[in-house]
Amino acid sequence: MATFLQLLFTGLGIGAIYALVALGFVLLIRAASVVNFAQGQFSMVGAYLLVVGFNVLGLPYYLSMFLSVVLMAGFGVLFAGATYWPLRHRGGLPVIISTIGASIFLENIVLFLYGPSPEVLPGLFDSPGIQVGPVFMDSQYLSILVASTILVILQYLIFEKTLLGKKLQATSQDKEMASLLGIPVVAMILITFGYSAALGGLAGMLVAPVLFVSVGMGGLIALKAFAANIIGGYGSIPGAILGGLLLGVAETLGASYISVPYKDAFAFAMLLMFLMVRPQGLFGEKISEKA
Amino acid sequence: MKLLEIKDLRARYGAGEVLKGFDLSVDQGEIVALLGANGAGKSTTLRAISGLVPHVAGSITLDGKSLLGQTTEAIARLGVSHVPEGRRVFPGLTVRENVILGASNRRISGADTKREVDQKFDLFPDLRRLADVLGWTLSGGQLQMVAIARGLMANPRVLLLDEPSLGLAPLIVQQVFKVIGEIRKLGTTVLLVEQNAHMALSVADRGYVLETGNLLVQGKPDELWNDPQVRAAYLGGMAAG
Repeated sequence: MATFLQLLFTGLGIGAIYALVALGFVLLIRAASVVNFAQGQFSMVGAYLLVVGFNVLGLPYYLSMFLSVVLMAGFGVLFAGATYWPLRHRGGLPVIISTIGASIFLENIVLFLYGPSPEVLPGLFDSPGIQVGPVFMDSQYLSILVASTILVILQYLIFEKTLLGKKLQATSQDKEMASLLGIPVVAMILITFGYSAALGGLAGMLVAPVLFVSVGMGGLIALKAFAANIIGGYGSIPGAILGGLLLGVAETLGASYISVPYKDAFAFAMLLMFLMVRPQGLFGEKISEKA
Repeated sequence: MKLLEIKDLRARYGAGEVLKGFDLSVDQGEIVALLGANGAGKSTTLRAISGLVPHVAGSITLDGKSLLGQTTEAIARLGVSHVPEGRRVFPGLTVRENVILGASNRRISGADTKREVDQKFDLFPDLRRLADVLGWTLSGGQLQMVAIARGLMANPRVLLLDEPSLGLAPLIVQQVFKVIGEIRKLGTTVLLVEQNAHMALSVADRGYVLETGNLLVQGKPDELWNDPQVRAAYLGGMAAG
């Protein structure tokens, strides 16, 4: 039982990262109908910004993190200008291809600047962790869980309790109607891109001490986050969170009890199972019901 | 005094010309009905005023200020409030939130917003008990009430109402037009697009009849009722009612 609880804790920690990246996916799907296949690379760029701030410039860790998040938000706006804006009237597919192109571009730019060797970042805390009953809570996984929880609550408060949040929701639900009401739709979409990039970047920074910082780190996270999005229900915010956590727990338990080399296979087996049994995901609607 | 003035309005979607050049004006405080069959260009006229049609020529002015070339958001901020066909109530937001967002075109304090939302609920008493209900759960008539209340929250200089009776039961249509009558008492200027000519002319000061993008005839409601061409083409059976 102690081992199970320990694995559950670790799985939730990893799942929280998938959930954060999946949230970024969902927000862009809802606000701009964009499936952003560079969402994982946002995590990679965020982690490398932290490397630059902390390892290269020698800035304090938390200041580097804060600056990296701010820069990621700005980066998200630039990303929107480069990949989404010129193609926004041409349907979903050109934008998807554009984000795939951007993801390859970003990986190669970072590869050019930093090379293939992974970079190492220290954890958020000096302490290795705390013992709670039979579970040793590793400080890094604990900080991931705490940060994710705070972000989810913050997001809930922004979206549900502020006028800005309502305008963002209105934009995501009907852009033309939002513009008829005088809501600055372009600004709302750019805010969503900026927020989504900041979220992805922060996920990369949080997971960096666990996974190392490498050019390819974003690809697998993004795939898992996308799977989390499908499992939770395409475009559903609670679904993204729950889907991410479920995926993290499933792959951790699978790796531990069945086989470590097939760790990633458990996550995608779960995705396949959902696609066969409940394709609308946990919180999604059946497409036929929308017709 | 002319508040909204349209001159030689032309609009096209792709190669097809939908509006072929006509004039229209709405005076301050007036309710003007824009009538015609399906495809006559009524909704396109409203969409052109709101900046939603990309290829528009001619002139559209609000109180002398040109609306052509302005963004939809900017036109809304100038005081044009458009209640489009299909209501377009945000399904994932509550009735109250939908109505509040109607004031997005102006700077207004939280207290004033609350007071004005209350005033809209006085105008539509059914909405008060539905205030915390999500948009997607509402009936067609309720959605129309929310859409009009939201449109009025903009404190519009001119309210564009597109097919408010479309798809509603006759009893609900009567309620909607009763509300449009109330809006008249508020002094709000309205350009009303309707296929239900009988109901539209019962509340309008003047009417225009469009036919395939051209102006067929204009005049006061009784003049339109008595125009044999219009009766035959559009008002037909309805005129007897």
